[in-house]
Amino acid sequence: MAKHKTDYVRYHIHTETANEIKRWPTRFRVKVKKAGLAKWLLKEVLEHGLGNRREVVLSRPCLYGVFSGPVGGFAPRPQHCVGCLRCTTEYPEMVSVTHNPERKKLGDSFFASSFIDALSYESLEGVIPVKGAGYRGKFGGEGWEGMWTDMSEIVRPTRDGIHGREFISTVVDIGYRPNYLQFDEEGHLVGAEPKLISIPLPVLFDVPPKNDQSEKAARIIAKAAAELETLAVLPITMICRIGLVGKHIVPLVKAGEEELLSNLGYIPDLVEMESWDAHLAESILRWYPESILSLRLTFPVREEILDYVQKGISTFHLLADYHGQDVEGNFVLDLIRETHKTLVEAGIRQEVTLVGSGGIITAEHIPKAILCGLDAAAVDTPVMAALQADFIGECKQREFSQFSLPAKLTIEWGVQRLMNLAAAWRDQLLEISGAMGLREIRRMRGEMGRAMFMKELEADAFAGVAGYE
Amino acid sequence: MSREPTNHELIVEKHTRNLRDGYHVWSHDKTDVERALGDYRWTGEMILGTYYQAEHGRPPDNGLEYRVGASGGGFDVLDFNWLPEEKWLAETEGVDVSISLNRRGKGREITIPIPIYGGGMSFGSISEQVMLARAIAAKKWSTFFSTGEGGYPSSLVPFKDHIITQVATGMFGVREETIQHAPIVEFKYAQGAKPGLGGHLLGDKATSSVAALRESVPWVSLFSPFPFHSVYSVEDHRKHVDWIKTTNPEALVSVKVSTPTDVDMVAVGSYFAGANIIHLDGSYGGTGAAPEIAKKNIAMPIEFAVPKVHKYLLGENIRDEVVLMASGGIRSADDIAKIVALGADGAVMGTSELVALGCTRCSNCERGRGCPFGLTTTDLLLSEFVSPEWGAERISNLYQSYEFQLKDILRKLGLSSIRELRGRKDLLVYRGNGRK
Repeated sequence: MAKHKTDYVRYHIHTETANEIKRWPTRFRVKVKKAGLAKWLLKEVLEHGLGNRREVVLSRPCLYGVFSGPVGGFAPRPQHCVGCLRCTTEYPEMVSVTHNPERKKLGDSFFASSFIDALSYESLEGVIPVKGAGYRGKFGGEGWEGMWTDMSEIVRPTRDGIHGREFISTVVDIGYRPNYLQFDEEGHLVGAEPKLISIPLPVLFDVPPKNDQSEKAARIIAKAAAELETLAVLPITMICRIGLVGKHIVPLVKAGEEELLSNLGYIPDLVEMESWDAHLAESILRWYPESILSLRLTFPVREEILDYVQKGISTFHLLADYHGQDVEGNFVLDLIRETHKTLVEAGIRQEVTLVGSGGIITAEHIPKAILCGLDAAAVDTPVMAALQADFIGECKQREFSQFSLPAKLTIEWGVQRLMNLAAAWRDQLLEISGAMGLREIRRMRGEMGRAMFMKELEADAFAGVAGYE
Repeated sequence: MSREPTNHELIVEKHTRNLRDGYHVWSHDKTDVERALGDYRWTGEMILGTYYQAEHGRPPDNGLEYRVGASGGGFDVLDFNWLPEEKWLAETEGVDVSISLNRRGKGREITIPIPIYGGGMSFGSISEQVMLARAIAAKKWSTFFSTGEGGYPSSLVPFKDHIITQVATGMFGVREETIQHAPIVEFKYAQGAKPGLGGHLLGDKATSSVAALRESVPWVSLFSPFPFHSVYSVEDHRKHVDWIKTTNPEALVSVKVSTPTDVDMVAVGSYFAGANIIHLDGSYGGTGAAPEIAKKNIAMPIEFAVPKVHKYLLGENIRDEVVLMASGGIRSADDIAKIVALGADGAVMGTSELVALGCTRCSNCERGRGCPFGLTTTDLLLSEFVSPEWGAERISNLYQSYEFQLKDILRKLGLSSIRELRGRKDLLVYRGNGRK
């Protein structure tokens, strides 16, 4: 019997604990009235003695080690506090546990501290945040908060494995895919051919914010992209200056930088134009005819995208600001839908790849953005958060946002943090896809039937309720 | 001759006393004490208000806002369209809050005197003591509680007439005798907090007794498959129902599903498969462990699912043949009345029962030794903080407070039965205009 050899290698992201290198403010503040504690201890000792009842006297109301330091409750360790409040329930006169307002200051008004908490956990271990109790947040809201993904009670991607998610593909294609192939009478391929690359997860890394385009940050992003087999967009000036090499590194080029194209020491899979320039496009294709050409467009992106398709561009990197808005304040969710719809109506959606950046900051935003019409997301500020950068003030405009990376940042640590983050996000993407019964992420794109929106659901449910319009 | 208490007993006694004192002090304290308690859905005041009700059997009169949360949507933006006071029913007039759980016109008649029963929480996700507390309370109120997936210990057998045996995708703890005992058998297709993902019991909580009941290996995490691998269609589901009916012809069948886009079709499918009860579990429901991403983002909240299903069942002319029970984020008597007005027959309660027993909603149910208050844990020491009798009294008091409030709401709406409230959206008022 013939033996089958296979080159199949299951995609795997190596995760490893990458502890925080900078101590962030604790989530909770724990205060103990020391005089009260001393009095209580004395009372306990008098009641039980210190002989074989020592265990009773010293039995503390915390399972997490807040009072397990060398002097117990006299020097609580709030970094261990999980906010269960058992201590303050048992000793309301002696112990108080409150939210730490310093922790709430992490991030900014869009990238709230709750997102930082989740992202920090994901970057630490590379695992999905799992917790008890139900949902604790607001009912719905604007943007991503007002959107739910569908699930199926019966349909599964596959019934192999216990959940059927073991064989879900997160691969996405980037580039040009003709709607159909054309052959001549002799069977030879004529007309346009596919020009595609595939990446194993729908997440790329976008250019670091302007003020943080340090060599270290660039090397971290480039190496993480290589490890993850995805892409990292970096300015061509930076690539050339520090000598980065690798087909996964996407040079971002603007008009006037044509001469730098010849300095790249590799053939990139993808080259991205900062904005449309016919001469630049021509230069890129002359130097790198095998590479896919991508164009950055700032939302709102409407009919003009069709003109660029006519000019031969098949991959678009759509940009909102870091809060997911366009200049008019419209949110990225609606903006993506609008662009996707424009392409669908023109009958060319299959031919075009849409990558999006801005306002996609947490794991659930990836499937939601894909449902709205993206093929993949190029993450920006989440990279900063994973690397424990401080947000300086409001980080909304790409041009002016200020971040401060930790002084102890190392390349090895940074790469691991990003790999952990990618692993956690990919696993969550599998959970969502499994719940939906989708076998591959490519099929999720633009599947609006699998999305639910608060405005529509509420209008249906509350019709007839007095005062609801 | 009395013996000296052991250190273990003294430790349990010390913390139990402190905790119970604490629940009292907190719920009777000033309302402006700063604490890291509560969240948008279950505000600190709502938690303390539930403690109060669990202690006194009536709603708080100390200014705690126990009726609504601060989530800015769903129940929290709905109020009642009260009649003018002169049209309220007199307090002397009887108001009926009972509901029937079988409206098929054949088979066993079961009526519960309050429109609620306890939702599925498995042995392992909660302690045996908490299970017993729920069982005693269910018996006292002639209602039910669901075992969740994982079977139940023999200590619960005396309460079998009030137990809903759950059959979920892992089939953990499902035995012929627990089906034969059960007045109601519940198929759990999905859970609102983690729709489409199957159950999670992390290894730390799978003690030898939990594992023995589930016929699994101690200290190994148990992930229930999703979905039922034997169900591809309504017809397959029908076979499941037939299987239960063969084992226990008298049992009513409940089908617990989550809330996808096509939840209305799922409900109709369940009806045609022979279900007596369709139990919708909305996406904001409780859990012992679930991926955070699943709690918010998959499937729709119960406030949206119930009217959708109610309307569809009406359209199919089968609404009066099935009982529609709702769960998933129903926290108070007001929420119960609101979900009935949106189209449900009754509500299934879970988290509020745990809050009555001292839960602070800290979300640490799954880690390490489990709940530090002894609720969602299998730790021998911690689980002793809740005695079944104390727990049953607290849950029972909460039910009493709910019953009181429901009757009060119905009176002020001019209704003499909760059955008249079903689907009366016109008796609700929307207060969400201008929300952020």
